Amino acid sequence: MDPEIALLHNYLIVGAVLFGIGMIGFFSRRNMIVMFLCAEMMLQGVSLSLVAFGRFHNDFGGQMLVIFIIAVAACEAAIALAVVLMLYRRAGKLDVIVWQALREDNQPAFEEEALPEEPPAEPWPSLSRAGLSPEILPEETDFRSRL
Amino acid sequence: MSDSQLTFTLATLLGAVGVWLLLPRGTARGWAAGAVLVAIALGLGASRMLRLEDWVADGVFFILAGVTVVAAVATISFRDPVLCAIWFGLSLLGTAGLFLFAGAQFLAVATVVVYAGAILVTFLFVLMLARPKGRATWNRSSWEPVVSAATGIVMVGVLSMTISDVLALRGETGRPIVEAAETAGDRAEGVLADQHVALVGAELFGRNLVAVEVAGTLLLAALVGAAVIVARPRSEAQEPPAAD
Repeated sequence: MDPEIALLHNYLIVGAVLFGIGMIGFFSRRNMIVMFLCAEMMLQGVSLSLVAFGRFHNDFGGQMLVIFIIAVAACEAAIALAVVLMLYRRAGKLDVIVWQALREDNQPAFEEEALPEEPPAEPWPSLSRAGLSPEILPEETDFRSRL
Repeated sequence: MSDSQLTFTLATLLGAVGVWLLLPRGTARGWAAGAVLVAIALGLGASRMLRLEDWVADGVFFILAGVTVVAAVATISFRDPVLCAIWFGLSLLGTAGLFLFAGAQFLAVATVVVYAGAILVTFLFVLMLARPKGRATWNRSSWEPVVSAATGIVMVGVLSMTISDVLALRGETGRPIVEAAETAGDRAEGVLADQHVALVGAELFGRNLVAVEVAGTLLLAALVGAAVIVARPRSEAQEPPAAD
């Protein structure tokens, strides 16, 4: 077996797996930022296939296309984060179900099922306080509200 | 049904059930079983991978591909979006390694630089916006996990089966149907040349010059668009003085 064909075969399969996993995540996850990450993952899968094809055919076209994919993904990141920020300001949460009124007419609504309560997430580690607290002059509290 | 089709069918079934168990479903039950099933499915898939030139190449490829795919599965299965972003970063590093392994040195560096930067920004957004008090329900449940896991994994299975069959096909003379027209010598002067970045640059600013200009314009438009979308309307930013 020609090792170049083997390389093409393996890369195409890994690319397909990445694309498929990203697709599953995009369809099923409800956090808008995670959905966005999954869309990027699909782009990565396609990029792998393109690089493998480019190597197989000894052509830089595949790598050129990946460079443009990276550029377009950067645009996508900017716009998507702007839109997510905007939606977060309106709804107060990153849940995509909040915007399900935008779905097609013939689609059933998502029914939220009651989930069992879970203990709150463990807090992230933080540094302990060190040093002395500074002396605050009384007149400073007049113009600095956050003291 | 051939041997490889059987393996891929089995891997598809196990993988679909495993991914369904791993997706957030409001309960942590079945998590370990899902991980085991996905691991078995990945192992079955790995057993159908073709051997590269020597065992060193095989080892490097399997480590990189394993890191990429496992991190990708972890990205869609963790509840905490911060952890999802970190696992996605690891998956990107694996992808960059695979680019390097295929000889695309510039792309490997560009992926780390550009995506790691973009991911850092995303990560900061997640930290800034989504530090929930307690665990948010929308991170703990999924939209149609059964259907989406089945759809995605079946697509992967069918694609892998097709790729595997087509690349292994042999014509009447016994030679593989898919054959590269180029030899190793051609590649050593082409995509695998020592002067890699110089050749990439020549290609990018030679044959693709117009596309580069268009991409630049697109980036500018995205920048302006993002600024316009995020900017608060003037009426909101400057509260009018309250009328008496």
